[in-house]
Amino acid sequence: MKLAYFSGCKIPFYMKDYDLSFKAVMHHLGIELVELPFNCCGYPVRGDSFEISILSAIKNFAIAQKHDLDMITPCKCCFGQFKHAQFWYKTQPALKEKIDDLLALENLLWEGHTKVKHLLSFLTHDIGLEKLGKQIQKRLPPRNVVVQYGCHALRPFSVTGFDNPFVPKIFEQLLGLTGVKVIDWSKSTECCGNPILKSNQELSLKILQNKFNAAQKAGADYICTACTHCQMQYEMVKSDNTINNQNLTTLLYTQILGAALGVSEKKLSETGRLPEDLFKDE
Amino acid sequence: MIEVSFYAAIIVFIIGAGIQFFRLNKNKDFSNPKKSNRPQYNIKGFFLNTFLQAKLFKAGKVRWAVHFVLFLSFLYLLIVHGLHAVTAELFFSDYEPTLDPFQFLRNVSGFFVLAAGIAFIVRRSFNLRINQDKRIKIHGLITVIVIVLLIGSGFLLEASKIISEPIFMEMVEEYSDIDDEELIDLKLHWKDNYAVFFQEDLQSAPEQLENGQVLNEEYCLYCHSPIKSAGISRAVVKAIYSAGQWFNVNRIDKALYWFHYGLCLIILICLPFSRLLHIFLIPFSSSQKKKTVHDYQKSSVSINLATLYACTNCGYCSQVCNIYPNYQINRNPDVLPHAKIESVKGLLKDPSSINKWQLNAGNGACTLCYKCTDICPSGIDLQSLWTVLDKKLGEMGAVDNNDLINETSLNEWMAKEFISNQKIKQDGSPNCGTSSGNLTSTLADRIESFENCIQCTICTNVCPILGYDSNGIDMTPHQIMNLLRLGEKHLATSTRMVWSCLTCYACQENCPQEIQVTDILLELRNAGGMTADIIQKNKLTEKLINK
Repeated sequence: MKLAYFSGCKIPFYMKDYDLSFKAVMHHLGIELVELPFNCCGYPVRGDSFEISILSAIKNFAIAQKHDLDMITPCKCCFGQFKHAQFWYKTQPALKEKIDDLLALENLLWEGHTKVKHLLSFLTHDIGLEKLGKQIQKRLPPRNVVVQYGCHALRPFSVTGFDNPFVPKIFEQLLGLTGVKVIDWSKSTECCGNPILKSNQELSLKILQNKFNAAQKAGADYICTACTHCQMQYEMVKSDNTINNQNLTTLLYTQILGAALGVSEKKLSETGRLPEDLFKDE
Repeated sequence: MIEVSFYAAIIVFIIGAGIQFFRLNKNKDFSNPKKSNRPQYNIKGFFLNTFLQAKLFKAGKVRWAVHFVLFLSFLYLLIVHGLHAVTAELFFSDYEPTLDPFQFLRNVSGFFVLAAGIAFIVRRSFNLRINQDKRIKIHGLITVIVIVLLIGSGFLLEASKIISEPIFMEMVEEYSDIDDEELIDLKLHWKDNYAVFFQEDLQSAPEQLENGQVLNEEYCLYCHSPIKSAGISRAVVKAIYSAGQWFNVNRIDKALYWFHYGLCLIILICLPFSRLLHIFLIPFSSSQKKKTVHDYQKSSVSINLATLYACTNCGYCSQVCNIYPNYQINRNPDVLPHAKIESVKGLLKDPSSINKWQLNAGNGACTLCYKCTDICPSGIDLQSLWTVLDKKLGEMGAVDNNDLINETSLNEWMAKEFISNQKIKQDGSPNCGTSSGNLTSTLADRIESFENCIQCTICTNVCPILGYDSNGIDMTPHQIMNLLRLGEKHLATSTRMVWSCLTCYACQENCPQEIQVTDILLELRNAGGMTADIIQKNKLTEKLINK
């Protein structure tokens, strides 16, 4: 299977770990990723300009359509933005007309068939839990892990169609396959605080602190994310010493899954250093 | 005369370079770099990017090939042809510009420089993205046009010398001792074989031609290779031959010589102030230590602003810019890196000449994806520049919309001209701003999208912001729905709720009446952004006047 890989703005440079581990997992599963000259998904300007944000997203679809490919992204904000854009593009004729005109200037056209998938929904629905389970080569130690769902993929369900927005389960199911112990906590579907990090850092960090406290209370050893912005937010702890409970490490789902699939550690992290109690053989 | 002007030009060049060096050095404090203990350099990057132009190779193979051929050809022309008075004796004992291989190589190199220069002009003039800002276009093209003119005049000069009867006569007098009869034979030979244009009508007989060839071998051949090796100039000769008399009588060759030579001097003098400065500054910017992800995440990134002048306006950065769609809607040139860097240079030179509001809006939209920095063939650390610029504009009075609205009193916000959205659109100017585009999700203006609100407060109860920061929030989501029902849309755009919203969609997902609460909040933020754009604009323009 061949898919266009939409990495978004932050993954290629700031989150090389996500880039590496995502590609390694996809390669292992026999998925061919194609990198196209995409632009921003439009999520960062969603609060600034409706037009710009929708145009940005639709233009990416048009680029994917040109190569006759569906898209996959490991970022939940990109994914949510794409779904959001499809919804508004299809329901607002004036907007559609304006965007189509701008696309035509660059010999682009979007006919509305391009599908976009998030890493987790792709693994669940397109690969299938059973098939993925059979590929697991090494069960990881049963350390306690909590998941961070990521708002923009989850809500609004009528637009994103990701999973049950109140009691989602695909992340837990996918993580459970790897052997780690997925534990419940109170904040799996609550926002990580990243969207207002720039405009209201104090509040953003307060939210983050609360998440750490809740995870600690639930007895978690690790937090697992599958979203660029959630991961960046949790990684903030490394550079911000006003946050407590820093001993909780946040891992990307692709790193955990990759290890369970038997992908070498070097292909999962740029530094090649991942927590030993989870990734090293006993 | 030639020597005097040459040395004078060199002195002017050195003075100019000194002035420029002083200027660039002075700008350092723009970025407030913390004094590091010892400067670190990227030696590998310096060598790779200076001598092999490795970053350009990475950016585009064809462009690299064209540029590299131009680079080598120009270097050859400069050293062997331009400075032959100095260099020829060092390397070649029998150098004559009219001898092969020099004649041939000069033509070939000239051709390559000319072709590459024209290719650059065509690319820059017809390329969609980098073609956008006329100011940039002209600025970036002058250097290339001057070089094309230089090479073009060189070919014309060579051609005019080939056909020149006066030069032929001077040479004959200086290097031979032939009589009038032999002169005619030699003329005949040179007319046929070297394309000299003679005014008189020369009748040729076979034995005369033969004699001419003998004379040629005796006196001329050791300094003159056949002109077929001067391919381009020969083609020019064909084009101008019919006007040969005019050329020879008016000594156009002399005029062309001075034009060609003068252009060289002008280029030399202007070099420190032109795009050609990149030949010195690209090695410099490439030698700067490469930053890691970790360096960028620190709050105190810095950049040596002299490296900005390594920019050649090739436009690769804008070609890959992640937020090009922003430009398509708001037509703000400062969204695009290659235009933005020009504005930064303007800001360094004369802050009042730059539209800071536009620059702030353009720079504010940057997602810091690193694509421009990665591709920049000049090796400029653009990523740091945008971060530093953001800080600098902040010092100049630009603020985040969230803070701006926080600082703005409700009275000011409710001013009549802001209340009517129509007015904002007519103004036209906010088009370049952050919140441009007049199409919205049309929820806040359509009563059916919020009239079903039953004020059940579920949205308010599930909002994480209210959970964490209830004191900082003036209006809750359900109250905002009520404001809309009261027709107070503009008032709603200024509420803390709208600007603190995480966009987590919890309210919308939980709403029993299926109201698109979050989408409405986002739409209000868009609308508020338009007002904020105007306030910001007034603010930055006022500062401009005060200074």
